[in-house]
Amino acid sequence: MTTRRNFLRLVGSTAAGGVISQYGTEIARAFEQVAEGDMEVVWFQGQSCTGCTISTLQAQYPTLEEALNEFRLEVTFHPTIMPEAGEAAIESMSMSPDILIVEGSIPTDIPEAATIGGRTAEDWVTDLAPQSDIIVSVGNCAAFGGWPAAENKKRLYDLGENVTGAKGLQFEKRKKGGVLGADFTGGAGLPVVNLGGCPPNPDYVLLTLATVLNGHVPELDEYNRPLPFYEPLVHDNCMHRGYFDRGEFADKPGGEGCLLKQGCKGPYTHCDDQTRLWNDGTSVCLNVSAPCIGCMEPGFWDRFSPFQQEMEGSPVLGNVSATQAGAVGVAAAAAGIGAHLGRRAMGYGKFESAEKADAETKAAEEDTE
Amino acid sequence: MPEIDIDPTTRIEGHHGITLQVDADGTVTEAKSKMEMFRGAEIVTLGRPPSDAPQITGMVCGVCFLCHRFCSSKAAEDAALNAEDVDFGGPPANAVRLRDTVEGIFYLWNHAVHLFALVGPDYSDAVAGTGFDRLDPLEGDGYMAAMANQRKVMKALAEFGGRAPHPVAYVPGGLATRPDVSTIQAVKSRVQEVSNWLGATENVPQVIENVQNGEFDPALGEGLHDIVSIILAAAEAGAADIGQGPDRFYSNGMFEDPESGELFLKRGVYRNGSAEELTKQEIIDGITEDTEYSWYTDDSGGAPTDAKPPEPAPEKDQAYSWGKAPRFEGQSMEVGPLARMTITGLDPFDLRATLGGGAAESNTLNRLIARAQETLVVRDQIMDWLDAIDPSEPFMADDWSDDFTGKGVGLMEASRGALSHYMDIENGEIERYQIITPTIWNLGPRDGSGQPSPLEEGVVGDVVSNVESPLTVLRTIRSMDPCLACSVHVQSPENASKTEVEPVTPSIGGGSCDI
Repeated sequence: MTTRRNFLRLVGSTAAGGVISQYGTEIARAFEQVAEGDMEVVWFQGQSCTGCTISTLQAQYPTLEEALNEFRLEVTFHPTIMPEAGEAAIESMSMSPDILIVEGSIPTDIPEAATIGGRTAEDWVTDLAPQSDIIVSVGNCAAFGGWPAAENKKRLYDLGENVTGAKGLQFEKRKKGGVLGADFTGGAGLPVVNLGGCPPNPDYVLLTLATVLNGHVPELDEYNRPLPFYEPLVHDNCMHRGYFDRGEFADKPGGEGCLLKQGCKGPYTHCDDQTRLWNDGTSVCLNVSAPCIGCMEPGFWDRFSPFQQEMEGSPVLGNVSATQAGAVGVAAAAAGIGAHLGRRAMGYGKFESAEKADAETKAAEEDTE
Repeated sequence: MPEIDIDPTTRIEGHHGITLQVDADGTVTEAKSKMEMFRGAEIVTLGRPPSDAPQITGMVCGVCFLCHRFCSSKAAEDAALNAEDVDFGGPPANAVRLRDTVEGIFYLWNHAVHLFALVGPDYSDAVAGTGFDRLDPLEGDGYMAAMANQRKVMKALAEFGGRAPHPVAYVPGGLATRPDVSTIQAVKSRVQEVSNWLGATENVPQVIENVQNGEFDPALGEGLHDIVSIILAAAEAGAADIGQGPDRFYSNGMFEDPESGELFLKRGVYRNGSAEELTKQEIIDGITEDTEYSWYTDDSGGAPTDAKPPEPAPEKDQAYSWGKAPRFEGQSMEVGPLARMTITGLDPFDLRATLGGGAAESNTLNRLIARAQETLVVRDQIMDWLDAIDPSEPFMADDWSDDFTGKGVGLMEASRGALSHYMDIENGEIERYQIITPTIWNLGPRDGSGQPSPLEEGVVGDVVSNVESPLTVLRTIRSMDPCLACSVHVQSPENASKTEVEPVTPSIGGGSCDI
């Protein structure tokens, strides 16, 4: 049995961010290294749709079954796959797990909006998290509030903007805080590791587990997402990127051209899905001409809805509309400066800073004139 | 009178519990099916353009994501067709066919996951001490093979949808993607692979013989052997005598030929011993929802075509569920594969007639058999449906626009049963939204006249011989393949957090199965 102390020492050792993006045998080794004994895992569901579980079941290297069996992770609780039911299910749950995985948002205005075994999800999570070494929010709901936190636009029935007061564990949309508070850290000293996405890519889940099990501290971005997964910009790696650079836009979903005017949120969305792909390398949203909906980002739903409309006038694009930015790309290419300037014009990689994007856009415009 | 509370149900999707009243010899006299999560789907959908509805409602459930997306798209398209201020000619036939085909492939996925991973373990060694260990959770060979094959089905779905779960390629007006010949071929070969694992339908009699003799012949289909094993184990355990529903079924019909309009699985109801085919309008006209025992205001009930979105009433006396009670012409109706097979008049190999006490008998065993039969029946059509898709024909309507005023209804059959979405649009904005899900039909609360849902009716009379192991009840619940995520509009007020009393411990490998 891996003692808690040993495990904490493993986790506490120096970071090596790169490990998280490695595949196959490295991951297996990572799991094996800590598989001297059982690692107790609790997979808890708040206001969830089970989509993150179903997504994780699609993992291929390793598969979830391999991760659980070969690497002897002991899932003491997972409502969808565990054999026990009723009180036996509750009794089997470790109350101080090595790893706590949460799927689904936590309702705070109506705490009873998600109960398990007669207790609210909020009670469960606030009890379990301080006793856990590593806490991972799987999916946009657990990380940032997700769709249950989407706006009650009609303000029906005095229920407030957020119908149930749904929050993520440590964030509420883009704001730090959440159910556990901004300063919370688990037993291993890390904040809640957020795997945004509706759902997240299954690799993200198992690779993140591999990273912490291997004793590495994942390098996190400002939303506590593992940087290697969430740094690339969807738009940068999009197969339709050439259309954008030439200023050619599709006039309907599935039409020929860049999908920006069909509401694609690729320029605002960070994840490596365009190169990693889904379902064992089968495809990804944009590869089947489906506009990106921005599901990996905090604030996803209301920040990106209406989904089929171009996000015009957004501060992240500065004062330049997508069409104009495309034209800047065209002008840049014509001037022989190429895509690099086009990228600068869009402020790629710097989208969280409106001023900077703005400034860079202006600079690019000046350059091309 | 002892009260037994099972919460959480587990190995289903979502938050659910059930409270049972049992008499001295353990016979269930009354059951209350409790839905325990609220997110407010209908409320969140309001005030947005119609094209956003499939996006939101599709993500209401990560298990049955496609059906909501399609049903919502159908409701939006229906509303546009009914609108006077927009010129919309309907989605292209090619798109209609492709959506149906994709849902057919999804049936394979859901039925396989249900039979192998969710309900199968109830008849396995790990849970019931039966000696059948191929479906022990995460360890049995059959379970592992099913996990591997569900991934292959998901890959097929991802070829069209970009990813699975939660593909985003399907939109009102058709679909964003334009699959070419090679994509369709890739889908076919993936489906074929899974189909081979399952085994040919014609092998069923031989596989039954094999299982009875304790033989296993992978060449006849690994999947078939496991499914037949579950069915025979369930029959042996007396599943035909438990979970008796109302013997009334309802189906919205599924797999429509875009040219002839003919439905492969029929639309209608089955009651008083016979099936009645119904039109879409007759179905719509027959449905009402009752909120007497739901935590909603009384005026939240009524006809879903004009009732307001559900308004929570957490203080309401007598209420015990956040599900509403849908009824067809006032009657509770069971939905799902057994309903579809019964209404369509299908009982391949007479399995329900011979093992289940009759082809139209509503019981726990027949629900499992019908699901297995439907898996094979639909599987046998998928290749033909894929062949009928013409990559050179359009997949998206040219004239779809969000900007209109109109009301629409989408009806379809999710793998779990009848699903309907109701959408009212005013000037391009969703004004009213209603969803009625299969799980609400099967697992909802009783209505104002005291009529229980099929599950509440089904477990009454079942005997819980071991209070610590109410496996009978769990088997019946899971036979209905509940999926709670989208069934539940809102959850409980204060009193749902009460401490439950009686210990409930289904045996794990202890052989104390109570049937």
